[in-house]
Amino acid sequence: MLELQNISKQFDQKTVLENINLKINSGEIVSLLGPSGSGKTTLLNIILGLTGIDQGKVIFNDKDLSYVDMKNRGFNIVFQDYALFPHLNAYENIVYGLRNKKDTASAEEVREYIDFLELKPHLKKKIGELSGGQKQRVALARTLVTKPKLLLLDEPLSALDGVIKESIKERIKSIAKEFNLTTIIVTHDPEEALTISDKILIINQGNISQFGTPFEIINQPQNDFVKEFILRQLQIKRQNIFNLFGEKYA
Amino acid sequence: MRNAKPEMRVIFIIILLLFVAFLIAPLLVLFFRSFVTDDGGAGLSNYMASLSNSTLISAIGNSIKVSGVTAIITTALAFALAYAVNCTRICQPLKSAVKVGILIPMLIPTITYGFAIMYTFGNQGLLTKLFGRNLFEIYGFNGLLIGYVIYTLPAAFLLIHNSFKYIDKKFIIVSKLMGDRTLRSFLNTVVRPLLGALGGAFVLSFILSFTDFGIPASVGGTYDVVATQLYQAMLGSIPDFGQGAVIAVLMLFPAVAGVILLNYLERFNFHYDKFSETELTPGKFRDSFYGILSLVILLAMFSVFAVMFIAPFVTAFPYDLSFTWDHIMDVFGSNDLVSVYRNSLIVAVLTAFLGTIIAYGSALLNARTPIKGKQTVDIFSMITNTVPGMVLGLSYLLLFNDSSLKGTFIIIVLCNMMHYFTTPYLMAKNALTKMNPDWETSGELLGDNWIKTVYRVILPNSVSTVLEMCSYYFINAMVTISGVIFLVSAQTTVVASKINELQHFAKFNEIFVLSVLIFLTNLVVRAVCDIFQKRAAIYKK
Ligand SMILES: Nc1ncnc2c1ncn2[C@@H]1O[C@H](COP(=O)(O)OP(=O)(O)O)[C@@H](O)[C@H]1O
Ligand SMILES: [Mg+2]
Repeated sequence: MLELQNISKQFDQKTVLENINLKINSGEIVSLLGPSGSGKTTLLNIILGLTGIDQGKVIFNDKDLSYVDMKNRGFNIVFQDYALFPHLNAYENIVYGLRNKKDTASAEEVREYIDFLELKPHLKKKIGELSGGQKQRVALARTLVTKPKLLLLDEPLSALDGVIKESIKERIKSIAKEFNLTTIIVTHDPEEALTISDKILIINQGNISQFGTPFEIINQPQNDFVKEFILRQLQIKRQNIFNLFGEKYA
Repeated sequence: MRNAKPEMRVIFIIILLLFVAFLIAPLLVLFFRSFVTDDGGAGLSNYMASLSNSTLISAIGNSIKVSGVTAIITTALAFALAYAVNCTRICQPLKSAVKVGILIPMLIPTITYGFAIMYTFGNQGLLTKLFGRNLFEIYGFNGLLIGYVIYTLPAAFLLIHNSFKYIDKKFIIVSKLMGDRTLRSFLNTVVRPLLGALGGAFVLSFILSFTDFGIPASVGGTYDVVATQLYQAMLGSIPDFGQGAVIAVLMLFPAVAGVILLNYLERFNFHYDKFSETELTPGKFRDSFYGILSLVILLAMFSVFAVMFIAPFVTAFPYDLSFTWDHIMDVFGSNDLVSVYRNSLIVAVLTAFLGTIIAYGSALLNARTPIKGKQTVDIFSMITNTVPGMVLGLSYLLLFNDSSLKGTFIIIVLCNMMHYFTTPYLMAKNALTKMNPDWETSGELLGDNWIKTVYRVILPNSVSTVLEMCSYYFINAMVTISGVIFLVSAQTTVVASKINELQHFAKFNEIFVLSVLIFLTNLVVRAVCDIFQKRAAIYKK
């Protein structure tokens, strides 16, 4: 279980996060949803250990990790632009971490991840030759090979188009279920957040606006921000689709 | 990255110490030395003596005059060439010839230019023979002017050429569609956006000419300039270190003013984020005009250097033009000259190797670590950009004259590393800033320590830049004379400084053979660098 207690963060006197309290259960997928600049990436980096906190605690399985180095927390992240190493091919990227810790994953397990992410035909390709979706899967594999206790994903879908987006979404869901992996996903798209996660944390200007299941968000929006910015978008989208297909297909 | 890692601190401290010891300290010593009076006290007597020295005053005037005229001519020629390459439809091979040919002078020591000019325009020169009479007096102003223009043209061209990339050629078409007349259109769409670059080219050419030693050392004659005065003061018949220090400080002034001016002019440059490839409008007259002009400029430049490649292969230029290997054999048979060439190679290789490490390390700290105080590296880079080679060399002489560094290769290498630091540093910084900022974090999460990520990820992704930095350092270390003239000893003489000695014995064949040797060596280094870069690019895809 991951617990955030009273997290606050300032950059040059500017408060970016304020009093964030949150509990995430093992195996859950949680989305951090909010407009751009609301502090989502900052919160993700705080959990990862990349960004230090000014106040509060990060607790994982009852251990206080607030001042534990990023490296020793045992979490891992897939960055928004993947941060793959372009001079290596897909396979070399995936097994990069094994050079440092050979026993984290056996050859058998690596093969499993590769099969699971359907990367076999692409292993010899340079990063530059991969499509966006393939890059995303290589980055996921590279991260999963390190067997993280917590998987963090920063805007994993925003760079992908239509159909691939849906397939990666399913893939992320099945990874979390298959490996019982607690997963935190940053997104600015309400539809994405509501369809992929068990729970959603809506952030507005560094504050928690609402934390709940998709059902709760839709049916019991707690404030105007959730109503205006989150639900409104979905309603417009729904209207557009109705208009396209006609009410009868709804 | 949250905190600086210990290994970053170690590298940072090493770099700081290097710069303090071999840049800041020598310059401070130079500055203080200029105020030390003959009786050991402090005062302005050196300055007074210098200001009442009419030779020095007229040398300063000469320097300003000839550098100013150079800057005007160079800027005009560089602009014409850059315009021809970027804004006309002259044939592609000619464009390539301009882009490559213009860089040739960079591979040759400036002191050689002077002798090439003498052999081309002098009493027995190639063109003099061709025209049957002396075209003009070559020693002094005219010779300097030709030499400086050739010397500064590559740098000025590159500066303007790079700025042309930022001109949106669509504006030229829009302006035409709006019905602008040719001149107005030209001024608005080409000259106006390039003002910064043109000013920059002027200032750059001025500083380069003002501080160069090689050209006046060879073709200056009795026309005194600041660089030769400085040389006289330090290594002439009656060395006067106090006066040398004063002249060096005086030489530093225009350089400082120039760099400030360059930074200011930078603001006039346009920076478009996006620019698209646009078809250029046809213009028959324009194309023929610029085609012929570029051809003439290139040929004029080549004709000056041609003699360098002809003279060593004929029996007695220009009287007996029969082919011979004798001069080449003589040079290779002379232990003295072979060892001088070997010295140059040692210095250039060491400079390239150590210089690249320091410049890359500095850029790495500055661009990709959170270390406190990393901006100091930028300040060092600005200082090295400002200080002329002669001034730096002189400061080394003053500070290290009594130390065990005196007369070693390592002092020459250190001087070169500092003198040419700015460009490689900026190359590396530019490349490193463009790389994905999350690589170090990814590496760390995958179990690397920082050094390991640098070695396994950052370095392999900047191979091409590292090669570029090495070749820049190597080539400049091969050709520089102003930086090393005060630092070489009998054991560490390099080719460029040897040429300066050889001229007193009128050994021009040896001079040209050595110059050709430097040129070919640099050409090979450049070619090898290109091959590896191409390979790195393929391997990246
Ligand atoms: N390293 C930093 N220094 C200063 N300000 C920062 C830094 N990182 C983020 N910020 C600021 O914090 C706010 C939140 O940023 P971020 O967490 O990236 O938002 P989001 O991911 O929700 O778009 C923004 O206003 C951003 O400008
Ligand atoms: Mg973000």
